[in-house]
Amino acid sequence: MSLKLLDITREIGIVTYDYPFGDYEVHEGFRGKPHYEYEKCIGCAACAIACPPNAINVSYLKDEDKSKWEFDCGRCIFCARCEEVCPTGAIYLTKEFENSVRFNKEDLLQIGELEVVRCRVCNKPFTTKRLINYVIERLEKTRVVMNEEKIELLHTCPECKKNQAVEQFTKSVRYGGFK
Amino acid sequence: MAKGEKFINKLKEKVKVLDVSYSTPDQVVVLVPRSDLVEAVRMLYYDMGGWLVSMIANDEREMNGHYALYYILSMEGGKMTIEDELPQDEKCFITIKTLIPETDPTYPSVTTKVPAAVWYEREAYDMFGLVAEGLPDKRRLVLPDDWPDNLHPLRKDAMDYRFRPDPVAPEDEPDYPFLFPEGDGVVDVPWGPLHITSDEPGHFRLFVDGETIIDADYRLYYQHRGMEKLAENRMNYDQMGFLAERVCGICGFNHAIACIEAVERASNIPVPRRAQFIRVICLELERLHSHLLNMGLACEVTGNVTAFMHLFRIREYTMELAQLITGGRKTYGNVMVGGVRRDITATEIKEAKVLLNKVEKYLKEAWEAIMEDDDQVERWRGVGRLDPKVARDFSPVGPNMRGSGFKRDTRYDHPFDVFDEIKFEVAVEYGCDVLSREKVRYKEVMEAISIIRQCFELMSGGPIFIKPDEYLIKPGNFALGNTEAPRGENIHWVMQGSAQKVYRWRCRAATYNNWPSLRFQFRGNDISDAALIVCSLDPCYSCTERITVVDVKTGKTKIITEKELKEYAKTRKNSPLKK
Ligand code: SF4
Ligand code: SF4
Repeated sequence: MSLKLLDITREIGIVTYDYPFGDYEVHEGFRGKPHYEYEKCIGCAACAIACPPNAINVSYLKDEDKSKWEFDCGRCIFCARCEEVCPTGAIYLTKEFENSVRFNKEDLLQIGELEVVRCRVCNKPFTTKRLINYVIERLEKTRVVMNEEKIELLHTCPECKKNQAVEQFTKSVRYGGFK
Repeated sequence: MAKGEKFINKLKEKVKVLDVSYSTPDQVVVLVPRSDLVEAVRMLYYDMGGWLVSMIANDEREMNGHYALYYILSMEGGKMTIEDELPQDEKCFITIKTLIPETDPTYPSVTTKVPAAVWYEREAYDMFGLVAEGLPDKRRLVLPDDWPDNLHPLRKDAMDYRFRPDPVAPEDEPDYPFLFPEGDGVVDVPWGPLHITSDEPGHFRLFVDGETIIDADYRLYYQHRGMEKLAENRMNYDQMGFLAERVCGICGFNHAIACIEAVERASNIPVPRRAQFIRVICLELERLHSHLLNMGLACEVTGNVTAFMHLFRIREYTMELAQLITGGRKTYGNVMVGGVRRDITATEIKEAKVLLNKVEKYLKEAWEAIMEDDDQVERWRGVGRLDPKVARDFSPVGPNMRGSGFKRDTRYDHPFDVFDEIKFEVAVEYGCDVLSREKVRYKEVMEAISIIRQCFELMSGGPIFIKPDEYLIKPGNFALGNTEAPRGENIHWVMQGSAQKVYRWRCRAATYNNWPSLRFQFRGNDISDAALIVCSLDPCYSCTERITVVDVKTGKTKIITEKELKEYAKTRKNSPLKK
């Protein structure tokens, strides 16, 4: 063996970190485990759509008044797409890299349940209360006056909105009032 | 004169050319009739200095009623001597395309004239059921042995991507016909297919006479993941890049870039300059840590643990560098169609430069010490020879190739991103052995450091991303993307489909082109060097779980543990074959 290498060894000394008995500092901007802030989440599902490996799912439970936001860290690739698209900063990547769990895969999950809003017309759940409040808040900031009609529209699901539009259109044609 | 025209004119003298089109200014597609396929590829390969970089089979029945084959050749010169190279402005990719009718899914085998095509043609049968007439080796390549006979998964009408055929009972499982050389006293040494230290399992059979390997056969693809089918069926372009990244745990970024750039080229998407620099920086970062890993392992396999530790100590700085620049110890999750997702700040550049200096200083010092160590150097010298003539026939890539005197590097031959603005030397060595390959790697680490430094200097401000509404993805367009991964050139080929999905994605990893000629590299070597030879190709293998030795004459079997083989590779004392 080369004696020179031994000399280098002596000169360099110990380079190993104390981790896991001591800290391991990661750099600024490290992309670790995503953190979910339930308080801020409006259940818009933008993160679920952006997430490449489907680590986030937002589902509307049938006949239930809750929508379920669910993140599975076991599927996460730490790409931060969710953080990029979240409108409220409810999900962001932390510096945490110790992601292993013992025996229980459930420990990899983060779950949030949000109150849903049912459609005024068909009574199916279609969005969350927080999302509607968020929209109203944003609209008011742009000085849109919220009246009864607009609020009603916000509480109608896309399907029913479509039907209503078709209905109105045919009515106006039938009564010759289409201008 | 448009690029490639010179070659096409020459082709026309002997071959019927039905059509010529351009995917990009340096990617030419030449349509020839099935009967002229072999001659067209042969002429480009041997007469005009081409190398086979990929072959793609495609099911185009819904487009034109045919299957199609695309043999892609990199026109760069034979490179057997220094003069034997094309001028830079003549280098290009030429694709020989031929159509195969649905009713008669056969074509003449190109392998008969150009051996480099062998794996591609075997795979085209597995995946599409296209029969290469005259192909000398018709065994399965990709599909498992118990896969149903007439199910060719990449045919568009074959199966749902989630379909999994029922498993077969062990006694019903067909045997895989390993090659077997003739001769007395030949001992057959199966190696694998259990867990191999790193990511890919494989089954090797070494045929030995005494201690000398006389031939080898191998079966890989125990972990074929069906990514191409998956992408076709359920991924959009954004997801596909992230999937491509997962082809490899070491050089994933190279795959992502090759894949994404294939899409970008097919749609002519202008990637912002700053993004191109960041891509190059991340690609070279990957080379740093990958080469240091391989150099370390090449020492470890031969028992030089001290050197291994030093190289891994230095490697740790490169991992930190990756973390600093990309937010993760691996460079993943950063690239998407249109640019990159994460910018580099001035502070990060400053810190990165400090780390680069450390890597450079420490590596120089350690490598010089290793090179002065005769015991180490002699274990590498003359081992695992890749003969230049064999290399010319099989189109290997990467340090494997450059260690045999070929100046082949896709960054130099077909510069992508900003590589045409950057100064670097292609590392070439002439010993054809493990030593040369490791020397090439050392030089390349040093070049990579210089490339990253240049990028930091040349990088101008500006956007790092262009938005999806600023470009259009056109169904039916196709192109290839190339990168020089640490282990050689990666080629991805993408044909775009409708609705944000690919129609066909073909991913060809560097090692795919290195396997077929490995057999020749084994021959004549001592069994204690087998692990080292595989290691020097850098396919992430370094040891095996155990070996079974079969003495052909007596039929006796013997199991050698991984520990025994490793010990033998390190000390070369007490051969496990003799016990
Ligand atoms: S970091 Fe990426 S993979 Fe993980 S949850 Fe967010 S979008 Fe999904
Ligand atoms: S608010 Fe953010 S975290 Fe909640 S669903 Fe929308 S994007 Fe996801």
